[in-house]
Amino acid sequence: MPPTIDDRIIALVAGAAPAGARRTITRETHLKRDLGLDSIALLALVFRFEQEFGIDLRALGADVDVGRLRTVGDVIDAGAALIGRAGAKQEGAMRVTS
Amino acid sequence: MTIVDAHCHIASLDFIPRSFIEASLANMAVLLSARGVPATPAKLWSMYEPKMQDANCDELVAEMAAAGISRAVLLAADFSYALKDCTLTVEESFERHRDVLRRHPGRFEVFGGVDPRWGADGLALFERSLTEFGFRGFKVYPPCGFSPSARELFPYYELCAQHRVPVLLHVGPTSPALSFETTNPFLVDEAARLFPTVNFILAHGAVNFPAECAMMCRFRPNVYLDISAFQTALAWDPPDAAVRGIVSQGINHKILFGTDWPVFRMQGRQTDFVEAVFRAGGPLAGIGETDRALVAHGNAERLLGSGLPAAWKDDVDAQLQYR
Repeated sequence: MPPTIDDRIIALVAGAAPAGARRTITRETHLKRDLGLDSIALLALVFRFEQEFGIDLRALGADVDVGRLRTVGDVIDAGAALIGRAGAKQEGAMRVTS
Repeated sequence: MTIVDAHCHIASLDFIPRSFIEASLANMAVLLSARGVPATPAKLWSMYEPKMQDANCDELVAEMAAAGISRAVLLAADFSYALKDCTLTVEESFERHRDVLRRHPGRFEVFGGVDPRWGADGLALFERSLTEFGFRGFKVYPPCGFSPSARELFPYYELCAQHRVPVLLHVGPTSPALSFETTNPFLVDEAARLFPTVNFILAHGAVNFPAECAMMCRFRPNVYLDISAFQTALAWDPPDAAVRGIVSQGINHKILFGTDWPVFRMQGRQTDFVEAVFRAGGPLAGIGETDRALVAHGNAERLLGSGLPAAWKDDVDAQLQYR
């Protein structure tokens, strides 16, 4: 069964955490307190998210507020919203051209 | 608890030129790219630019309210001599800052900055800022290429003494677009000695040259520091280390809280930065309530008032000999 979007986002978060951070990650896991992710690491996460899902946040006009990301759940929800927005934009573009 | 943020700027490219920000973002891009992150200066710019659309300080006021910050000091640094992409003249910048004071009565104080190489016109403008615009201090930015003890600044310090307003000066590194050569806090020593009735605030003193800044605060009665940019330490130190260290040295009567808004808007909100400093069990946990209040608002309020104990006033005036 292929990984879900949530699984892929969790994998990104786990990859960004320092080696000594806890590895059992749930939606409630706190990014800074539990995983040691500082603001630079969260910024890096945003770029890796773009790379993983092929989304250009600048082209999407998305204003990513890293400061609002407190838990893994926040990251999953923000990521899902951006993916949905990117998909809707792509569908709209295809309707215009078809 | 009352909180005064002693170090903010208007979040607009009208006041912080693009070249200043782009150079800082390029530095961040190097850090991220070295770790294999596909970050480019252009991408970082696209993330940061939306944070610089608050020319009237409406967003800042909203964040202050959410964070429990009652007042903030807006610092109008003058980059116009050193950087060539400033969109406003110094006078226009001052007028816009005055407009913000009027738009948000009671929420802000403004420290106007003038590069001393602008000569007599600059000095006249600074005096107008104090007598007509309602500004309450002087912002000095040595990375633009001058020492804080440069003789050209002495007429400004005389005005500060006359009007009993403090000077806030940047110390330490800043945007790579500017020089770091004249940013050591010891360079203010001559000015602080020659102008004993003027209070000098070493900006970012908890993270930039903290030992030197603490030393200046301990031995010069008219030298203070603010802790703004403590957020930079979050990247490589436990978040408490910078602030916990500076409030553990017996100089809490000289320390001012500050956030350097909007510089760290990508890292968090004003509520985050207030919580980082003032939370239970945080870096101020080891100091008493009196000192905590001094850092939160007492020291800033004293400097924004007369800056001197009332009983000192006549004695200090009699001792004012700096020529």
